[in-house]
Amino acid sequence: MQKQQQVSDKVLVIGGGMGGIRAALDLAEAEKKVILVDRDYTIGGLMTQLDRTFPTNNCDLCTLSPNLSEGSRQEYIELLTMTTVKGVKGGKGNFTVSMETAPRYINLDKCTACGECHKKFPQCVRFTPGLDHRAPTCMRYPQATPQAFSIDLAKCDDVEGLMKSCPAGAINPDDMGRKFEVTCGSIVLSPGGSLFDPSHLDYLGYGQQPDVVTSLQYERILSASGPTMGQLVRPSNGQQPKKVAWIQCIGSRGLQKGAGAYCSSACCMFALKEAIVTKERFHDDIETTIFYMDMRTMGKDYERYFLRAKNEFGVRFVRSRPHSIVREGGAENLSITYSCDDKSANITEEFDMVVLSTGFRISDEVRVLAGKLGIDLNSSSFPVTDPFNPVATSVPGIYVAGVAQAPKDIPETMVQASAAACMAAGDVAVPVKAEEDREPPPPEFATVGEEARVGVFICDCGENIGGVVDAGALAEFASQLPQVVVSELKGHGCSRQSMREIQESIRDNKLNRVVIGGCSPRTHETKFQETVRAAGLNKYLVEIANIRDQATWVHSNSPQDATAKAKDLIRMAVGSVIRSQPLVDQSLPINKDILVVGGGVAGMNAALQLADQGHKVYLAEKTDKLGGLAARIHSTIEKGDVQTYVKDLIARTEAHENIQIITRALIVDHSGMPGLFKTGMQTGKQMFYRQIEHGVTVIATGAKPNRPPQYLLGENAAVSTQLDLQALLAEKPETAKAWDNVVMIQCVGSRDDENPNCSRICCQSAIKNALRILALNPEARIFVLYRDMRTFGFHEEYYQKARELGVIFVRYSREQPPRVQAGDGGIEVSFTDPVLGRELTVAADHLCLSTGMVADEDGNSELAMLFKLPRTADGYFLEDHVKLRPIDLPVPGFFVAGTAHSPKLINESVAQALAVAARARTMLARDTINLGARSAKVDKNICAACLICVRSCPFSIPFINAEGYSEIDPAKCHGCGVCVSACPAKAIQLMQFEDDRILAKLEELFERTNA
Amino acid sequence: MENFEPVIVAFCCHYCAYTAADMAGSQRLTYPANVKIIRVPCSGKVDALHIVKAFEKGADGVYVAGCLEGDCHFKNGNVRAARRVESVRKYLEEIGLEGERLEMVTMSAGMGYRFAQVATEMTEKIRKMGPSPIHLALAGGASEARKAANI
Repeated sequence: MQKQQQVSDKVLVIGGGMGGIRAALDLAEAEKKVILVDRDYTIGGLMTQLDRTFPTNNCDLCTLSPNLSEGSRQEYIELLTMTTVKGVKGGKGNFTVSMETAPRYINLDKCTACGECHKKFPQCVRFTPGLDHRAPTCMRYPQATPQAFSIDLAKCDDVEGLMKSCPAGAINPDDMGRKFEVTCGSIVLSPGGSLFDPSHLDYLGYGQQPDVVTSLQYERILSASGPTMGQLVRPSNGQQPKKVAWIQCIGSRGLQKGAGAYCSSACCMFALKEAIVTKERFHDDIETTIFYMDMRTMGKDYERYFLRAKNEFGVRFVRSRPHSIVREGGAENLSITYSCDDKSANITEEFDMVVLSTGFRISDEVRVLAGKLGIDLNSSSFPVTDPFNPVATSVPGIYVAGVAQAPKDIPETMVQASAAACMAAGDVAVPVKAEEDREPPPPEFATVGEEARVGVFICDCGENIGGVVDAGALAEFASQLPQVVVSELKGHGCSRQSMREIQESIRDNKLNRVVIGGCSPRTHETKFQETVRAAGLNKYLVEIANIRDQATWVHSNSPQDATAKAKDLIRMAVGSVIRSQPLVDQSLPINKDILVVGGGVAGMNAALQLADQGHKVYLAEKTDKLGGLAARIHSTIEKGDVQTYVKDLIARTEAHENIQIITRALIVDHSGMPGLFKTGMQTGKQMFYRQIEHGVTVIATGAKPNRPPQYLLGENAAVSTQLDLQALLAEKPETAKAWDNVVMIQCVGSRDDENPNCSRICCQSAIKNALRILALNPEARIFVLYRDMRTFGFHEEYYQKARELGVIFVRYSREQPPRVQAGDGGIEVSFTDPVLGRELTVAADHLCLSTGMVADEDGNSELAMLFKLPRTADGYFLEDHVKLRPIDLPVPGFFVAGTAHSPKLINESVAQALAVAARARTMLARDTINLGARSAKVDKNICAACLICVRSCPFSIPFINAEGYSEIDPAKCHGCGVCVSACPAKAIQLMQFEDDRILAKLEELFERTNA
Repeated sequence: MENFEPVIVAFCCHYCAYTAADMAGSQRLTYPANVKIIRVPCSGKVDALHIVKAFEKGADGVYVAGCLEGDCHFKNGNVRAARRVESVRKYLEEIGLEGERLEMVTMSAGMGYRFAQVATEMTEKIRKMGPSPIHLALAGGASEARKAANI
């Protein structure tokens, strides 16, 4: 084999934030090898510092940490923390990257994250930007990955004492770090953004006034894991604030010195979130005010969030750019001076705390990194990307995702991360499976019908358990319990050494049940399940008594109580494990064919990506031709040629040997389970019925252009939508040359009672068409009547250009919409100018309405019913998790791309289509799908078919079968146990949480009390 | 009962309340050792039978802890749990146990401090109420228990 043609089988992911983690997981689950590097000592990025995220206001740690520990477990991922990229050579298929790892001074293999070093050297904690103290040893947040501390040796004056403090001997002050090279076939760049630093803007008072904080600092103050343990207090005096103000667009939209020319896209939403969370917690005790220029809530269902902030929570909105924030000499409060449209004089108002909504920027470090990678950057230092593929940089084989591509929020980052994973996976070789590495575990030995032989292993977890209670005595206590054969003290049960000993003990003592007295099953159950399985024991025959988190950590003030409780917990676990039964994970073979519903840009892109990977794809299109809505669009705002792009896409789709196109397809039935679906459709002119078997379904059905019967649309030839106008400007450009006055009205059919959401695309359409008219006819006068200009991201720069070229932007309110009537000289449009305070009338040669998109109500409701997919109130398909899983639908095996999800631009649809391909591959890489063992099981001899389970199941899984009893498909059951508790006959049991195990725990708990 | 230490059973859902309890641990918050946790996948899994058995065996208080409303990982298990707790409370009253010995609480996974706070409040409340009449019955015979329960 010739060396230079060898393609590497690894992908390098740079940046361990949410984007990097998502990309790495998608690649690893698709069985691609990944090297994930982060310069920080733990992965997680910016999101780990947030208190809650919009629009669900969920806390982050609980949604993020499973992803992180998933990351640490993946065998395909090599995680390199505290590592930076030094240089890049080579090209797509074969990059050589030199890297350097900084010393952590802690041996990751030995560290158990017990926290002893931190406790003994608590000078402080390295945690929050600006609001904390620093520690020689630190772990960023409780669920950090890797689960290990890091030491800042420069801050430590007693190195020996520090070394001695570690019970695991993990501290190594001689750690030198290392320099090394790796080879990879492609690179995903996801280093995230940094935040604008407003310190140099003295009129904002940041840095001088402690009560002026950035939004991230406010987030830390609100956070339960933050410096104030979630107490909202003013940094100046420790009192709870009464009046908090947010000031938007700090460092964005070219407003301040050093600010980016772009809009940072996420700040309006996070300011709303912070204000809502504040209101939720303190109600009328705290007044919240947001100073803004345009509220840019253009994401899916974000407008509703904005309305809730305003109407439900009483957040006050002031459209103004404050002039200054000062604290008068001796005054306790901050004064904000600002002006409003309706008053000519300046207003000064006092606040206790001011939050600056600072925007994103590219850090110098990332700029240097981009230089090393050789990728082109735009004027704002973001990578230049392909107009129809936002993750493709100027260098083949290097892909960018997340805020480093353009300012964006978490769901869009997740989409791009998956999209980048899809592209990167295409550039690397399939890794050779190392058979010897994956030795199959020994066969499980039989346990059914055998007397229980329990082994108890108690961890002292360093000082964590052993420092509060006598762990040896606990082991001694456990040895006296019935059916316990062995009870031993294990230092750190989770260390490799202890795990080996436990396995030996299982074999030597013929143990058939295991109890670990240690930490939380949440973090360690999988680990111990793997341990016992490797010794030949069914993995469901182990139970963990959480004597650390639930006894020694929380009752350290009373060792006596902690000991008594630890004994209770151990006895309960033993009682429960005796009744545990060996379970088999549900698994099913997967059909690797794919059904893509919808032949637009999103559907074709998803189909092509999956077909390129060798999957058979059925592309079902409702109409008689491919192309969808994009086939009617001529150009993007960046002047990308859409017609050529779509034509090429159709040609490639039609020519692909793995794609079967089915036009005039009407889906009529659907059955099966993830990996084994059957979908029936009527196709062609004759409506012949055919059935397709497939493992994955992609929903890419698009949306419809909205045409509400408002402002003479459809009645007068001089009134059009933006979609019609762009076609007219492309096909008959001479028409625009005759126009003196053109009026555009924004938000027609959007942001109203009938359709409360924002259509996202219309503001940029208006700007695009206005610029096009001016290019054809520089004399034309264009009026854009708007409510908020939502030119997010780099579109802001086009908005600024339109203003410079003389396009007149006039704001109107929802209460006072423009009025339109047909006159002699054209269309008369009347509106109130808020700056002049006067009513104006323009005789327009052309009136263009920004009508946006609406969900295809008829089509979507049919499909939703057939596929059992939920939808939003406005008819779009609802994803599984609006924050972290924007591509997966709640029904496993279903994915969504394009405007079927929500209104979006063409390049956003493409990104989501690529992301779908990456997500689908994670499922299709395996030959079978593992569904775990926790599912509800019906005893047909007891079931009375009373239908209570059928009605109570949150997912509508149980049904009464032909034999007259309730049947629950274990492959579909989510394992919540709701039906189990509802069943009046007790005919249902939830595996792993059987009633007799729960009752055994109660039994054991009260044995002591009642004895 | 001078030194009455109640035994309280907390059925905690895996996704929120159990995680919050771990969080309380990692933040080293303290709460009374009287509270013993039993993990369930969802608060909606907690059976009336489990609650009643806990009391029968001698629990002085029981609470079911689930996710905040709207956060349930199984759509609405926590809402069902709250309804069930409400109905079991009525049943407890009927058999002569104070309904306040049973509670439904919600919290998010990040709320370690709330977990500790709920555990403390519940323990204080039950301590004030005194031992469960059933507990007395188990300890000293049925007649005293009837006396305690005023029946």
